[in-house]
Amino acid sequence: MTKQKILLHVNRATQELEAAPNRLLLEALREDLGLTGTKCGCDDSSCGACTVLVNGRPAMSCLMLAASYQDAEITTIEGLAPGKTRLSELASLQRAFAECGGVQCGFCTPGLILTTCSLLEKTPHPTDAEINEALSGNLCRCTGYTQILESVRRAIELMEKESAGEVVRP
Amino acid sequence: MSLPAFKLVRPRSLDEALEALLRYGPEAQIVAGGTDLIPSMKQRLFEPRVLLDVKGLGELNYIRFNPEAGLELGALATITEISESALIAREFPVLHQAAASIASPLLRNLGTLGGNLCLDTRCLYYNQSAFWRESLGGCLKKDGHICHVAPGGNFCWAAYSGDCAPALLALEATVQLAGPRGNREIPLAEFYVNDGMVRLRKAQDEILIGVRVPARNAGFEGIYQKLRIRKSIDYPLAGVAAVMRKDSGGICREARIALTAVNPAPRLLPKAEALIGKEFSAGLVDEIAHEAIRTAKPLTTSASSPEYRRRMIRIFVRRALEDLWLGRRPRDGGAKKDLLSN
Amino acid sequence: MSAGSIPNSPVGSRVPMVDSFEKVTGAGKYADDLVLPGTLVGKILHSPHAHARIRRLDASRAGQLPGVFAVVTGKETPVKYGILPIGHDERIFADDKVRYIGDNVAGVAAESAEIAEEALRRIRVEYEILPAHLDLEKSMRAESNLIHDGRPHNIEKEYHHHFGDVEAGFKAADLVRFDRFDCAEVTHAALEPHSTLASFDDDGKLTVWSSTQVPYYLMKTLAATLEMPEENVRVIKPLVGGGFGGKSEVIPLELAAAVLARKAGRPVKITYTREEVFYAHRGRPRTIVELKTGVRRDGRLTAVEGRVIQDGGAFCGYGPVTMLYSGQLLNALYDIPNVKYDGYRVLTNKPACGAMRGHGTVNVRYAFETHLDMIAAGLGIDPAEIRRRNLLKPPCVTINGLRILSYGYPECLERVAEASNWSEKRGKLPFGKGIGIAGSHYVSGAANPIIRSDQPHSTVNLELDGEGTATILTGASEIGQGSDTVQAQIVAHELGIALDRVKIVAADTARTPIDLGSYSSRVTFMAGNAALAAAREAKRQILNAAATYFDVPAERLVLEDGRIFEAGNRAKALPLAQAVLLAAKPETVLRATGSYSTPAEARGGKYKGAGVGPSPAYSYSAQVAEVSVDVETGQVTVERIYAAHDCGKAINPLTVEGQVEGSVWMGLGQALEEEMVWKNGRLMNAGLLEYRSASTLDSPEIRPILVESADPEGPLGAKEAGEGSLAAVIPAVANAIYDAVGVWMTTLPITPERILKALEEKQRRTGS
Ligand SMILES: Cc1cc2nc3c(=O)[nH]c(=O)nc-3n(C[C@H](O)[C@H](O)[C@H](O)COP(=O)(O)OP(=O)(O)OC[C@H]3O[C@@H](n4cnc5c(N)ncnc54)[C@H](O)[C@@H]3O)c2cc1C
Ligand code: FES
Ligand code: FES
Repeated sequence: MTKQKILLHVNRATQELEAAPNRLLLEALREDLGLTGTKCGCDDSSCGACTVLVNGRPAMSCLMLAASYQDAEITTIEGLAPGKTRLSELASLQRAFAECGGVQCGFCTPGLILTTCSLLEKTPHPTDAEINEALSGNLCRCTGYTQILESVRRAIELMEKESAGEVVRP
Repeated sequence: MSLPAFKLVRPRSLDEALEALLRYGPEAQIVAGGTDLIPSMKQRLFEPRVLLDVKGLGELNYIRFNPEAGLELGALATITEISESALIAREFPVLHQAAASIASPLLRNLGTLGGNLCLDTRCLYYNQSAFWRESLGGCLKKDGHICHVAPGGNFCWAAYSGDCAPALLALEATVQLAGPRGNREIPLAEFYVNDGMVRLRKAQDEILIGVRVPARNAGFEGIYQKLRIRKSIDYPLAGVAAVMRKDSGGICREARIALTAVNPAPRLLPKAEALIGKEFSAGLVDEIAHEAIRTAKPLTTSASSPEYRRRMIRIFVRRALEDLWLGRRPRDGGAKKDLLSN
Repeated sequence: MSAGSIPNSPVGSRVPMVDSFEKVTGAGKYADDLVLPGTLVGKILHSPHAHARIRRLDASRAGQLPGVFAVVTGKETPVKYGILPIGHDERIFADDKVRYIGDNVAGVAAESAEIAEEALRRIRVEYEILPAHLDLEKSMRAESNLIHDGRPHNIEKEYHHHFGDVEAGFKAADLVRFDRFDCAEVTHAALEPHSTLASFDDDGKLTVWSSTQVPYYLMKTLAATLEMPEENVRVIKPLVGGGFGGKSEVIPLELAAAVLARKAGRPVKITYTREEVFYAHRGRPRTIVELKTGVRRDGRLTAVEGRVIQDGGAFCGYGPVTMLYSGQLLNALYDIPNVKYDGYRVLTNKPACGAMRGHGTVNVRYAFETHLDMIAAGLGIDPAEIRRRNLLKPPCVTINGLRILSYGYPECLERVAEASNWSEKRGKLPFGKGIGIAGSHYVSGAANPIIRSDQPHSTVNLELDGEGTATILTGASEIGQGSDTVQAQIVAHELGIALDRVKIVAADTARTPIDLGSYSSRVTFMAGNAALAAAREAKRQILNAAATYFDVPAERLVLEDGRIFEAGNRAKALPLAQAVLLAAKPETVLRATGSYSTPAEARGGKYKGAGVGPSPAYSYSAQVAEVSVDVETGQVTVERIYAAHDCGKAINPLTVEGQVEGSVWMGLGQALEEEMVWKNGRLMNAGLLEYRSASTLDSPEIRPILVESADPEGPLGAKEAGEGSLAAVIPAVANAIYDAVGVWMTTLPITPERILKALEEKQRRTGS
C-alpha cells in the first residue's frame, strides 16, 4: 500500500510522518512518533488503554485512522508533563495518582489520567458518581478502582489548593 | 491488530461523498466514527478497497429543533453530543437515556448517530477474528454456509444491537437518505429489514444524512431499559424503549414500545396500541409485557440465553409501563442517567 | 523490632511506588515499547483444530516471500520444556500433534506485520483430525486417542492424602453434609498483552526483554530449549503491565521470539494479540469440588473429605502444584482433626491452565466456606460463630504438616464483624438484602522451590557509594505489585536514609542475583528478608568502621537520618557517606549481600506431595459482603465489601490496601461475571469485550482493614498481601445471597440466570 504524508498535531507540535492510510493513530503514535505512553490492551476497542485526547475529549486511538485526524489536536500522556524528571514536579493529577495508589502496573494509567484530565476540565467538582461514569470506559485490572477514585478526589483537592495560591508539594 | 489495506477518501461535502460512492461502487464503504467498522475490519469482517471517511461533512453534524420540522439530528452528530443535549434530555428523554447508555464515554465521543443506526448486526459466531471464524469454516453471514446458531436454517439471526434505534422508533422518527437518485425520507421502521444479513433498506450508494422526530412527540415521557452484563462498554443484550402521553385523568392517550437486541432488526411492538384510551391496570400492563415476548425472538447470539433475554424484555416492558403510567422514575437495571448533562 | 520506633522511616508509611513517575508520565517502558535497530515482527501460526495429527507441513512458500527472514517449525524445536521438572511436555512449536485450538505450529519473522501475516497464510498444514477430549469428566474416562503418551485416561496427576481418620470423624459427628460445587474457568486478563523482544549479539549471546514474572526460570528454559549455556542467556524484565500468574510460566512467544531471532540473525519482537493471550492462558481451571464434612452439634468440625477435579487443558504446566494447593490448604485455615483429599488433574484439548492469583486455593475455599455456612444454617449457628469455634491455636503444625506461627484470622473475623455491624444485620435485613461472611488464607512464598536445590530462594546485593546512595540489586520481579518499592523501603529503613537515596536495579539475570520470581506471593517475604539481611550486613560494616572512628564499641552507635552518632550525643555525628567510604576502604563502594532460605521446620511433611503448601508464613483474610438481589431479574448488586487482611506488618499500607482491594475486586469478577465460555473446544469469548472485566460502574466500595500479626520470621513482621484476599470474597457473596433470598449458589459465576433457576427450584421445593 502506498504511503502518504500525514501531518499530526500532537502535544502542541506538528509532526510529519509517512504512513499508509490504514495506519491507526495508535500505531502512528507508538511506532512512528515513539510516543509509547499510549498503550494497546485489546483488539476489540473495549479497554481504553489507548486513550488520547482529541480536541480535549478522550477517545480510543486504536480505532482512529491517523490520516483521518490530521485536523485534530491530539494530546497523549507525554503531553501532560513535558520535560519533567521527578514526581514532585508533576501536575496535581499525575502526582495524585502516584500518591493515592491509583497506579499499580501502570498499563491503564495513561488512559485513565487523560480521561480524568478531560473530566476535570469540563467539570472541576464532579461527584463520585460522575467520576465513576466518566472513567467507565477505561478498564483497570489491578486496582479494583477504589484507589483510582481516591486519586481523582485527591487531585481535585490539590487543584483547588493550587488555584487558591497555596503551594502544595509532597 | 492491524487493518487491511484500503484507499482512504475524505470528501469535504455531501456531493463529493455521493460522487465517490458512485465512482467506487460496491468497493467503497462509509466510515463515520469507526467504532463499529474499524474493530470489524481488524477482524477482516470487512475489507473494503475504498474507505469513505465522511467525518469531514460538517453539514451533517447538527442537533436542532423547531416547531415545524421537529427534532432534526444530523448523521454525524456524535452520541456524546446527543446524550449531552439539554434539549433532548428535556423533550425526548427516551432518546437521551438510550444515547447515554451506549458503549462507554470514550466510544460515545467518537461514535455517530448515523453509524449507530446503520450498525452491523451482531452474533457470537460472527464477531470473531479471522482465525477464529476460519477454524469453524465461517458462518452464513460471512464466508460460510452454515448458521451455527440455528443449524440447518438459512436465515441469519444476528441481532441488531444499537440503542438509539428503538428510542427513535418509539418517537416515530424518519430517516433521510441522500443518493445519486436524489434524497428520500422514510419512516425509520421501514429502514430496517428483519434479516441479519440484509439489515437495511438502503442502497449501497446512499448516505444516511439525518433523522427527524415529529415535533408532536416532544415532551413525551419515556424510558429506556437495557440489559447488559457490565454497566458500561457492553452492547445491549436486550433493550426496551417506551414512550407515553397521558391526559390529566391518567388515561393513556398515546404509547409506543420498541425492542432492540433481540431480533435482526429493532422492532416496534404492535400491541402497544391496546394501551390507548385505557386507565392504568396491572393486568393490561402484564398482558402487553407478555405480548412483547412474541415479538422478541432472540437466539443464542450473545452471552445471555435467549430465554433470559425474553424474560427481561417482559420485565422491562412491564416496569417501563408502570413507571411511565404511575409517574415513577426509572429504576435500576435500566439505562443510567447521563450525569454530565444535569 | 518495631519499625515505628525509627524516626522518618519510610516503613509503615503510605509512600508512592518508586516507579510511579515513569508510569504516570508514560515514560516507562514495557516490553512492547522497546525497539532495537532492525527489529523484525514475529508471528505465530496457530492450530485451528482442538486435536489433530500434523500429517504434512510445508512452509517453503512462506520463506520465499520477500521481507521474510525466518520461518521455524516444530522440526527445529525438538527440546521439550515445562515449568515443573516433572512436566516437560511442551515444545516451542508442535511436533506431530496439535492439542488445542490456538496451539503453536510455526513461527515467522518478517519486516512488517503484514508480511508476517501473509507468510503465515502461505504455510500449508495437512491435519488428520483426532477425536477431541473436551469434557472434563468424560476425558478422565477416555481410553483412546489420548492427549499425551504416558497419561492413561488423560489424567495428568492425581493425589490422595489422608490425615487422621475421616471415617472415625464422621462417626463422631452429629451432622454429615455433602455438597458439590462447580467453578468456571477464569483467566488473568492482565491489561498488558504478553510481549517479548529477543536479540543475539555478534558473539552469539542472547538477550531477551520479556513481560515475565519469572526471569530466572525463563533464562533457564531459553538456555535449555535453544541448547545454549546459561551464561550466554540474559533475561531482562522491563515494566510489566500486570501478571496475576499469567506470566509466571514460560509462555510460548518468549521462546519463539528467541528461535526466530537466532535464525533470522536480527532482533525479533512478538506481541500477542488479545486473542493469543487467551490461547496462552494458564489461568484458573474449571474445578469441580465435592465436600463431605462432619460436625458436632456445637459446631466443631470432626472431619472433612474433599474430592477435587480440575480441567487442566492440554499441558501439565503448574497443574500438579495447583492440585496440591487445593488439597493442602483445604483444611489449614481451621483446626480439623481428620482430613482426606483426592485430587485429579485432567488433560483436555484446551489451552493449558496454570497459576492464577490465589493459585489452587480459590475454588476450594469458595466451596468450603459456602459449605460451612450451609452447615451452620443446618445447626442454627451464626456463620461468624462457627468459624470462631474451629480456629487453630498457633504456634502449631496442622495435621498435614503446615507450620503456623502468626495467625491473624481471629482478629480479621472480629474486625469485619465489627466494621459491618454483623450481629445487627445477619438474618435481620429485609428480603432481597443480605450479608455474608467468609475467610481465606494464602502462602507467603512456597517453602520449597520449583526446582529442588539448596540455593537460597532470594539473594539481594547492596552497594553503597560515597554519596550515601544505596543501590539494591535484586532478581525480584516488579509486576505492578510494589516489589521494588517494598525492598527500597526496607533498605531505607534499616540504613536510616531517605527513600530517594535508594536506587534499585531489578530483574536482569546478567546483573542481579538469583530470585525465583513473582509467584506464590513470595516477594515481600523472601526478597524482603534478603534485602533486610543485606542492609543489616551493610549497616554492620558501616558501624564497625564508625566505631573505629569514634573509638567506641559499635553497639553504642546509632545510624539515623543519614548520620551516625553515639547514643545520646547527636551533636557529634559522622555523615553516613563518609562512614561508607571508611568501611569500603580501599574500595569506594561498600558491598553487602543478604539472602533468604526457608527454615527446615517450615518446609512441610515427608509424604508424597508434602512439598507444596508449606510456607514460612500464611496470610489471613476475613470478609463481609453486603448484597441486594432483584428476585425478578436475578441481578445481584454487591453494595459493599469489608475486607480484613492479616499481612503481618504493612510495610507500605498504601500498596497493601491496593493489593487487598485488587484481589477482592478480582474475586468479585470470578464470583459474578467472569467465565471462559467453551463450545466444542472453541473459546467463545477470547477478547475483553466478551470476557467481561468489571468497569468502574460495576465495582462496589471495598473497605480494607489491615491486621498486623507481626510474623516472627517475616521481614519486619511482614507477610503476603497480594493474593490471599481473593478467595474469601466469593463465598462471602454466595453466603450473602443466601441471607438475602434463601438460595445456595453452588456454581460459578453466579449469574442472574442461575439465581432465577435456584429461586425457582426453591419455590418448587417449598411451595412458597
Ligand atoms: C466496545 C464497544 C461497545 C459498544 N457498545 C454499544 C452499545 O452499547 N450500544 C450501541 O448502540 N452501540 C455500541 N457500540 C457500537 C458503536 O460504538 C455505536 O453504535 C456508534 O454509534 C457507531 O457509530 P460510528 O460512527 O462509530 O459507526 P461506524 O463504525 O463509522 O459505522 C458503522 C456502520 O454504519 C455505516 N455508516 C456510518 N455512517 C453512515 C452514514 N452516514 N450513512 C450510511 N452508512 C453509514 C458504516 O459503513 C458502518 O457499516 C459499541 C462499540 C464498541 C467497540
Ligand atoms: S487498545 Fe483497548 S480500547 Fe484501544
Ligand atoms: S494499574 Fe494495572 S491495569 Fe490499572
